[in-house]
Amino acid sequence: MNEVILTMEGIDKSFPGVHALDHVSLEVAKGEVHALMGENGAGKSTLMKVLTGIYSRDAGSIVYDGRKVCFSSPREAQAAGIVIVHQELNMMGHLTVAQNIFIGREHTRGFLIDDAQMNDAARQLFRQLNIDIDPKEKMGRLTVGKQQMCEIAKAISHEAKVIIFDEPSAALTDTEIEQLFRIIRVLRNKQYGIVYISHRMDEIKQITDRVTVMRDGKTVGTLITAQSSKDDIVRMMVGRVIFEKPKTVSHVPADAPVVLKVANLNAGRMVRDVSFELRKGEILGFSGLMGAGRTETARAVFGADIKESGEVFINGKKVQIHSPQDAVREGIGYLSEDRKRYGVVLKKNIVENSTLACLRRYVKRGDLIDSTAERKDTTAYVAALKTKTPGIEQLVMNLSGGNQQKVVVAKWLISNSNILIFDEPTRGIDVGAKQEIYELMNLLVKEGKSIIMISSEMPEILRMSDRIIVMCEGRITAEFDVAEATQEKIMNAATRDIAV
Amino acid sequence: MKAALQKFKNLRFVKLIGFNRVVLILIIFLMYGFFTILTPILRNGSSFVNYNRVMSALNYAYFIGFLGLGVTFVIATGGIDFSIGPVMFCSALISGYCLTKFNLPLWFCIFISIAVGALFGSIGGYFVAFRHLPSFITSMALMQVAKGVGSIFTKTQSVTWPAAEATSSWYRYLVKWNNLPTGFVILCLVAAICAVVLYKTRAGRYMLCLGSNKEAVRLSGVDTRRWEMLAYILSGTLAGVAAIFYVGAYTTVQPGLGDTFNNEAIAACVMGGTSMAGGSASILGTVIGAIIVALMQEGILAMGFTISYQYVLTGLIVLGAVTADIMSRKRRN
Repeated sequence: MNEVILTMEGIDKSFPGVHALDHVSLEVAKGEVHALMGENGAGKSTLMKVLTGIYSRDAGSIVYDGRKVCFSSPREAQAAGIVIVHQELNMMGHLTVAQNIFIGREHTRGFLIDDAQMNDAARQLFRQLNIDIDPKEKMGRLTVGKQQMCEIAKAISHEAKVIIFDEPSAALTDTEIEQLFRIIRVLRNKQYGIVYISHRMDEIKQITDRVTVMRDGKTVGTLITAQSSKDDIVRMMVGRVIFEKPKTVSHVPADAPVVLKVANLNAGRMVRDVSFELRKGEILGFSGLMGAGRTETARAVFGADIKESGEVFINGKKVQIHSPQDAVREGIGYLSEDRKRYGVVLKKNIVENSTLACLRRYVKRGDLIDSTAERKDTTAYVAALKTKTPGIEQLVMNLSGGNQQKVVVAKWLISNSNILIFDEPTRGIDVGAKQEIYELMNLLVKEGKSIIMISSEMPEILRMSDRIIVMCEGRITAEFDVAEATQEKIMNAATRDIAV
Repeated sequence: MKAALQKFKNLRFVKLIGFNRVVLILIIFLMYGFFTILTPILRNGSSFVNYNRVMSALNYAYFIGFLGLGVTFVIATGGIDFSIGPVMFCSALISGYCLTKFNLPLWFCIFISIAVGALFGSIGGYFVAFRHLPSFITSMALMQVAKGVGSIFTKTQSVTWPAAEATSSWYRYLVKWNNLPTGFVILCLVAAICAVVLYKTRAGRYMLCLGSNKEAVRLSGVDTRRWEMLAYILSGTLAGVAAIFYVGAYTTVQPGLGDTFNNEAIAACVMGGTSMAGGSASILGTVIGAIIVALMQEGILAMGFTISYQYVLTGLIVLGAVTADIMSRKRRN
C-alpha cells in the first residue's frame, strides 16, 4: 500500500432534523482510485462538501498530506490541492479551452492577457495527460467528454494532489468513458489520490482499487475491489433494517383493467424505449437511482416535455398527449418532486391552488368565478385530506411541506384525475406527515384511483408498491411483483452494468 | 404606538382597501397641503387652491390612469410593457388623422383608436407568450415601431382633434361636461371593470397565478400562453382608450413622443402596490397612483419648476416603490 495522502476520520455533520454524516471515515492513498458508493442520500456528496470546505464539520478530523487541515471554502481546498471534477461542468462555452483552464489566474503581459502563453501552458498540460485537444478551440464546440478532460487538465494545473470525480461518466458515451479511464490511469501512475463517485458497478470493478460504501450517513465499510463481488457491494449498500413492514402481496386483483399503457416511449437521452402498464387501483413503484430517467418518463407521459416517439393508451384507447392540458383532460395528474417550483403557486391561497386545474368548472356566465362553489369544494377537501391550516384563505407559502403536498393532491382530486403520478411524494416532508401521505395514497387506490409512485427511497418503494419497475440510464431494467421484490434485486437492477 | 398602528391596520375599511392604499390617500392630502403652502411663497401670491387646478390635474390623471390599469395586468403576469405611451400616441395620431383628414365619423375614429392599441397589444403578447421573448425587449421594440408608425401615418405632422365648439367634438364630454369631471367617473367605472376581471374572473386568476409561478400553472393543465397574451392585449386596448382621454384634454398630439408616459404609468402601478415580481396587483392602487402622479406634475408646474423635475421624481418613485416591494418580500421570507 502506498503512502496515505488523505484521511478523514469521525466526520460528523448535522442539518436541522437530519444527521447527514455520522462519524464517517475515508482514507485515500497516493496512486489509488478509491470508489465512494451509496444510495442517493447516503451522504457521499455531503462528505465531499465537508472535505472541500463548502460545509463546516461538527466533529472529526481531516489529515491531508501529513497535516491537519480545515478548509473554509472550496477556494482554499483548491489552493491546497483538493479539486472536484463536477458532474455538471462549469465552463464558459464562448471562451477558448486555454482561457477556461486559466480563468481567474490569467497569464498577463502588462495589462494585457497573454493568450499565447496560456495556450502553451494548456498544451503542456494536455501532453502530460496524453490528450489531443487544441487549446485555441472554443469550449462550447467540444463534446462533453472533451470538456471534462479540460476540467481534469484544469484540476492538474492547480497542482492538485487529490482529485474527486463526481459521477464523471454520467454524461459520457462508451468511447469517452474509455478515454476517461485511460486518463485516470495516467493520473494514478502519477501518484494522484483519486476519489471516484459512481453508481455504475462495472466501472467500479474496472477502474478502482478500493471501495468505501456509505449508507444513511454512516460508513459501512471499505473493501478491496479486486477481492469483492458486485453482490458484496450491493449488500453493503442496501443492508439496512427496514422498520416499516413492506407490502408482502399485491392488493390489485389479477383481472383489474389496465388504465394506462405506455408503449415504446422515447424522449431525449433519459427516456429510451420505455413501456409499461398501470392497472386500476394499483400503486406502481418506479425505483432507480438519481438520474435514471424516472421523472423524465413521467414528464413525457404527462406532456410537460416533448416526446420523440411512443404511444399512450388510456383505458385501452389511444390518446394524443402533447401538453399538460391534454393530460389533464385525460384524467392524469402529476405531483412534482419539486413542489415549490412545479406544484403550488406559493403566493396564492389554498382555494386558488386547489381549483387551478379545473377552474373552468367553477366559471359562470361571463368568465366570472363562482367563489362560493370553489370555497365549498376546497373546504371539503381540506377536511377530507386533514390539511392543517388556520383557514382556506391561508397562502400556500405559509403551509408545511406535507400540507402543501395535500393541497396539490386536492387540486388533482377536484379535477377528477384518475391516474396520479406521485414524484417523490414524501421528499422534504417530516416523518409524521409522511405516514399521512402513505395512508392517503392507500385510500386513493382503494377508491379506484391508480398511482404511479416515483421514489428513491427503497423502504418507501417496498412498502407502498403493488408492482415495482426499476429504471437505469433511461431504460426499464426490471419489473417485480412486490411479493418477489427485495432490496438486493432492485439495487442490482438499478446499478445494472451497461449493456454493451 | 405600534399597537395603535396594528389596531388601525385591523380596521375593516383599512383591511378592505389595503394599508398601502390608505397611506397613499394620506399622501395625496399631504401633497395638496404642501403645494397649497409653497406655491404662494415661491410664486409670490399665486394660489394653488382653485377648481381649475383640480380639473387640470385630473385631466392628467385620466390617461395615466388608463395606461396604468392596462400595464397592471401585464405586471401581474410578471412582465412589463414599455410601449404603452407611444402606443397611446400612435392610436391618437392614426384615429385623429382619420377624423380630420378622411372625415370618418367620430365614433368610428374612437373605435380605430382602441383597435390600434389592441393590435399593438396582440403583437406584443404574441411574441412574449408564444415566442417566449422577454417582455422588456419586446415592448422596447414595439415602442419604436409605434413611434414610427404614428409619424409615417401622419407624414410627421402633428394632429389636432376638433376644438370644443366644432362639430364632432362630443368626445370632449367624455373628459369634462359642464365643468364636471365626467372622465373621473369613466375612469372609476373602467377601474371597477378591471378589478372584476382581475379578481373575479378565470382570466384574472390565471394571470395572477402565472405571474407567481408560471410552470406550476402550466403543469396544472392551463394554456398559460393564451392568458399571458390576453394581459398584453388588455394593456394595448387600454392605451387606445387612454388616447381618447389624452386628446379630450389636450387636443393636439405630436408624432415621435409618448415614452415619458410609460414611466409615469408604471410608477402609478408600483406605488399602488402592484409587485414587479408578478402575482399580486392592486387596481385601486393604480388609480390612486395615477392621481398622485398627476397632482405631482400639477404642483411642480404651479410652483414654477420645469417639467424636468417631474421626470426626476417619477424615476425616484419607481426606484423607491420597487425597493420597498423587494424589501417587504424579503422580510416575509
